[in-house]
Amino acid sequence: MRRRTFLATALAAAPAAATLAGCGVFKGNDASSSNAAATANGTVAPAQVTVYVSGDVNVQNLWNKNLGPAFSKAFPGFSVRVLVEGTTSASTVLARLGASIKTNQDPGMDILDGSFTTAATGGLLAKVSTANVPNLANVSSSLLTPVDYAAVPYRGSAVVLAYNSKYVSTPPKTLDELLAWITANPGKFTYNSPSSGGSGQSFVETTLTKYVSAADNAKMVAGYVPSLEGDWNQGFATLKGLSSSIYQHVYPNGNQAVLDLLDSGSIYLAPVWSDMGLAALASGGLPSTVKLAQLSDPSFTGGAAYLGIPVNAAHKDAALKLVNWVLEPAQQETIVSVLAGFPAISTSLLSSATQSKFSGLDTSSLRAAYSTEMTTDMCSLWQQKVAG
Amino acid sequence: MTRAHRLRALVMASPPVLVAAAFIGMPVVSAVMFTFGYPGGFNSILADIGQHEHLVTGTGGTLDAYRDVLANPLFRQSLWATVLVTAAATAVVLALSWGIALYLRLAGGRIGKILAGLAVVPMFIPVVIASYAILEFYSPNGFLRSLFAALGWSNAPVYGYTMVGVTFGQIWVSLPFGVLMMTSGLNAVPDALLEAARDAGATPARAVRSVLVPMAKVPTTITCTFTAISIIGSYTVPYLIGPSSPNMLGPLMTDTFQSFNQPQQAEVMAVAIFLISAVIGAYYVRANLRGAKEGKSK
Repeated sequence: MRRRTFLATALAAAPAAATLAGCGVFKGNDASSSNAAATANGTVAPAQVTVYVSGDVNVQNLWNKNLGPAFSKAFPGFSVRVLVEGTTSASTVLARLGASIKTNQDPGMDILDGSFTTAATGGLLAKVSTANVPNLANVSSSLLTPVDYAAVPYRGSAVVLAYNSKYVSTPPKTLDELLAWITANPGKFTYNSPSSGGSGQSFVETTLTKYVSAADNAKMVAGYVPSLEGDWNQGFATLKGLSSSIYQHVYPNGNQAVLDLLDSGSIYLAPVWSDMGLAALASGGLPSTVKLAQLSDPSFTGGAAYLGIPVNAAHKDAALKLVNWVLEPAQQETIVSVLAGFPAISTSLLSSATQSKFSGLDTSSLRAAYSTEMTTDMCSLWQQKVAG
Repeated sequence: MTRAHRLRALVMASPPVLVAAAFIGMPVVSAVMFTFGYPGGFNSILADIGQHEHLVTGTGGTLDAYRDVLANPLFRQSLWATVLVTAAATAVVLALSWGIALYLRLAGGRIGKILAGLAVVPMFIPVVIASYAILEFYSPNGFLRSLFAALGWSNAPVYGYTMVGVTFGQIWVSLPFGVLMMTSGLNAVPDALLEAARDAGATPARAVRSVLVPMAKVPTTITCTFTAISIIGSYTVPYLIGPSSPNMLGPLMTDTFQSFNQPQQAEVMAVAIFLISAVIGAYYVRANLRGAKEGKSK
């Protein structure tokens, strides 16, 4: 059903975009005189920029309620359309993008929000530099090299361990301690099924990595090596062994479902996204007794979220304009306050109140996750070997 | 029928047939071709997308994708779960809708009407909302367990995230159709036949067995087949209420297609569901033909 919706929106988007581009000719003249529609690469015709969001509800809300409206307000005539497609894996979206480039079709999206390193290094996304995105000057180059300068980092987050301090006084500090805690406290831990969200995915991946050599692990992060999947057997056996200690023996669907269980007090400990956890604590979605902590050596995975522009995007200039605008300090402050995400630009550009939140945190040092295709296979094997 | 008549009938029927062929027939054929490993035509993009595909370059197809899926224990468990849930839920829906329809037909009155009205309520509640409500109702801290706990039974079973819960959900969703079908089916039996049976000295049970059951054969078959087919391909109810795994084939197919990026394997599973539904559908077609024949002979 979701796929059908996607096709319908993709088909609907093409004529809609054409109409808007047509209107843009008229509006463009006004806009260039009054508003600053002129950027580094000349006047940009107003357009509707379609942003594909692969994140959870919090990221969808960031675009729908904050960034989108603010962008239209700052630049009249421009608008943002958010495309959300549930649990579709990153590799399915990438493959669709690849197919649209191969067949010379409109990909139906102008910006992809996610961690699409494979797409960037595979040449599916347009190159960025300070020439077309001037604000990149404020972004650490260590975030740009992994994506080969073909995507713009715009926020960061990591998976952390959330625990309810009312019941857990000394949270586990390492993965081994965590695994021991789970078996010692049956029914008080769970993680979402890895195909339904990144926090459960990170827990599964971190556990698998425990039994994988550093060299093999690096290969799985860098690319697609199905021949190494045998390395995972021991990790999957460990996860299967935990199943009798998992809350209700069920793995909820989605990151948010796990937060809800933490909130109701049904579970005491769970892997959660740092941004979702912090935002829930701020809004009352989690009781204040819930604390966040990171495991050490290895930590859970994390990293920057990127905005990528498909090489064949229909509104490339407008998309570049939006990406550049998102890197401005005001929008970065919004991301920090709304999403509790890590900023992508140097924190010294942000207000001192915001700076104090991030003392000692550095988005560029987070442990990288497996490549998208390895992750897809990991989810599939988990379903067979652990959930079954 | 003369030849001109037949030709005119064919022309009149052809637009829907063509639409069905273009929008249902062709995708089905191309999907089935893909399961045998043909990557050409409509499948070329999908073949570029998927992981773990079994493709052929020549004309001879391959059964490797089928072997792959059949060797997957998750598929076998899910298939089994799907068949069991479908059989159980269909049986319960049939029993409940027959019971309500029979009460309404024989006793009537206000209670019968209220019962039939209540049974149709699920039709007006969206499936997503109903599924979530059912999940919460049977959850460890849900209404049912709270009620039992208050009555002194602290170990009442939990049906949230179980296949039993999924079966309850399927019954909830399918009951309205069954009740509507059976009440109208039993109401169509003329009073004269029941009165004649009574005059001949038949007990109410005998009248039901010898008059109502045979007269309502067609609506009964339709209730059975439609309920079973809609349950076998369902997605929302098992996705929301069911366990992570093994669940029904609907969620497994979606996961395989989207999350695991294995479109070929997902389509093999779809073929399996299609084959089971085709067997059920055959009963429906047979019942329909029989109904048409009886209609004609009158």
